Amino acid sequence: MPGKFGKPTDPDYGERLAEFEARIARGEKIEPGDWMPEEYRRQLVRMISQHAHSEVVGMLPEGAWITRAPSLKRKMILIAKVQDEAGHGQYLYHAAETLGVTREEMLEALLSGKAKYSSIFNYPTLTWADIGTIGWLVDGAAIKNQTMLAQCSYGPYSRAMVRICAEETFHHKQGKEMVILYAKGTPKQRAMAQDAINRWWWPALMMLGPHDSDSPNTPTLVRWGIKTKTNDQVRQEFINEHAPEILEAGLTLPDPDLRYDEATGNWLHGPINWDEFWAVVGGNGPMNKERLEARRRAHAEGAWVREALAAYAARRQQTAVAV
Amino acid sequence: MDTQWPRWEVFKQDTPSKPHQAVGSVHAADPFHALLTARNVFARRPQAVSMWVAPASAILSVTKEELAEGRELKPSTFDLKPSTYYVFRKTSHKRSMTFVDYVGELEAPSPEDALKLAIERFTDAPALAWWVVPASSVTKSEDSPETVESWFAPAKDKTYKQQSYYGLVGAHAGKHKRTQGDDDE
Amino acid sequence: MNEQVKQALIAKLTALADDELILAHRDSEWVGHGPILEEDIALANIAQDELGHATLWYGLRSTLDGSDPDRLAFLRDAAEFHNCELVELPKGDWAFTLLRQYLFDAYEALWLSAAKDSTYKPLAEVAAKILREERFHLQHTQAWVERLGLGTEESNRRMQAALDAQWGYAQQLFVPLEGEGVLVAEGIVPDLGGLKQTWLLHTTQHLQNSGLKLPLQPGYQPTSRQMHTEHLWSLLAEMQSTARWDAEAKVW
Repeated sequence: MPGKFGKPTDPDYGERLAEFEARIARGEKIEPGDWMPEEYRRQLVRMISQHAHSEVVGMLPEGAWITRAPSLKRKMILIAKVQDEAGHGQYLYHAAETLGVTREEMLEALLSGKAKYSSIFNYPTLTWADIGTIGWLVDGAAIKNQTMLAQCSYGPYSRAMVRICAEETFHHKQGKEMVILYAKGTPKQRAMAQDAINRWWWPALMMLGPHDSDSPNTPTLVRWGIKTKTNDQVRQEFINEHAPEILEAGLTLPDPDLRYDEATGNWLHGPINWDEFWAVVGGNGPMNKERLEARRRAHAEGAWVREALAAYAARRQQTAVAV
Repeated sequence: MDTQWPRWEVFKQDTPSKPHQAVGSVHAADPFHALLTARNVFARRPQAVSMWVAPASAILSVTKEELAEGRELKPSTFDLKPSTYYVFRKTSHKRSMTFVDYVGELEAPSPEDALKLAIERFTDAPALAWWVVPASSVTKSEDSPETVESWFAPAKDKTYKQQSYYGLVGAHAGKHKRTQGDDDE
Repeated sequence: MNEQVKQALIAKLTALADDELILAHRDSEWVGHGPILEEDIALANIAQDELGHATLWYGLRSTLDGSDPDRLAFLRDAAEFHNCELVELPKGDWAFTLLRQYLFDAYEALWLSAAKDSTYKPLAEVAAKILREERFHLQHTQAWVERLGLGTEESNRRMQAALDAQWGYAQQLFVPLEGEGVLVAEGIVPDLGGLKQTWLLHTTQHLQNSGLKLPLQPGYQPTSRQMHTEHLWSLLAEMQSTARWDAEAKVW
């Protein structure tokens, strides 16, 4: 049940906003039906639907390798992983639906190219090692965000993220296990793993979002308990965890400026190529067109299936009423 | 106009001693299809022994805040025959992947009447949110051992979905303490 | 177990595993491309289950001859695969995939129900384990056949086309392997002839109740698992491409 969405022009907005922010400060969850600022709702719909779209589009680069997975075990794991991504998209669309937006509307926004999704999925998967690397780096980065969002003040989003976090840890681990195995494997396996790390490292850093100075929404999102950390904080956590592990695996990272800073305990990185990031976000990444085209095709080819079941259900209901 | 099919809320029971809990929703065309779909989406991992689905449109949902603000619960104005309603309730702001828990059923002439009764009857814990669901709108998985074995038990063997399966890399296990096999909380 | 029985059992387990593997592969081609999110998830469940069954059957064979399941799946040539032709056919549309899955599930559930009483205990155990999942598959795919058969004119037409194309191929599920008779005689595997009658009864009834007509001419009916369609070679070329890419690799 969509709640009451307050606008700054409402006479009681100031008072209600103060109550609302006090609830969040007390650690209460905001539930569907509760009062919330229209802007809170708008930001949530934007974030949650983008997040859902990312899961759904994210099925494509990895899904393409299910038919080429090199062992029974890897094939099984990859099907389960890509399936989880469908599940995560499903949970997230549900969370957004509690804010009064329909899945039909959200899909329309995705397929028409209006809605955004994570830039990372517009890069191609060129070899099998990309599958392990996506698990280790991309899911590793995603988990950082998801762990934070599991604390989110909006109940349905938080619950979806708790469920996703519980499932996602295996995605990260299977990837890490695979890349470390190949790093110690044959020369070809090793070269393949290194090449994949080289290609995915920077996009993984970028997927955590623009620098705080270019992220105008962040302060509001933090105050309303939607986010609890800034993009740069999350990115730093990600690098601190992953850089030493990758180096320890005997692989290198494609950043000549990368170094450990004793004073702060942080791994410092070189400049990120934000031109590339904005190009990909703006629709000009290597795979933007193909990804969207694949989604559109599946949607169009599934139309008759959705209609058939709707028709069957309608007829059954009529019969039930007639009886 | 595209259809994604209607939305059905899904209630999953982890073990026979636990209540059914709202875990999320599925889009499906008809009641049995919704139940199959709920199983496919929400029993990919343990735990489950039973599932219920109900059309989202059939559910009366009211939060504590709405009640405090005097959301009116209109008693039925017609002389309706009482029917059965299932009552679900949320009592905590704790980190959780489920929403309301099943607390019991009662007879009432309308959902609003059912909620008023529920507020009087289920007083053991403060309610943050209520759901009232007409029993007639609920489709349930069969309780037969054969169905439980077939619908829910096999997920236990799919250990590759659990992080503990990837033993050699343990550095982050502590940071994400929950594992795939955990009960929903 | 004497050598003749053992060889016959190895051949049978290989055929069982190959069926499941190739079917799982075809199902898995849908992952990310299903008609709606929920059904993408549902078919991915079936694909995982069938792949799991393949792994179990290869594993059972391995206990008899020490073979490596991954080598069997990823380094064996097309001519050595003994799956039926039905499972090789390209995935087609949603009707084609769901109907094939239904025909196969109906056969598999029957076969497993009988095989769980096998005199060869390890096979009986695996059959009982797999049967649990197959019961749900069958409920799921039965429901889909009914809904698509009775849904719209278009869904009925697509289902009918799938049935016309597959009915003859499906009959191969009941053609015994050469030498399977000895396994039947020993009570290790069920007699396919008997199962076929039950399968025909169930499927015919359900298909007709779903508004579909059994083809008057079943068309081509494969009779030997030595034969394959033109699709198997390319399916395996893709499936095995990574595993064969590095001849030195011991572990993936």
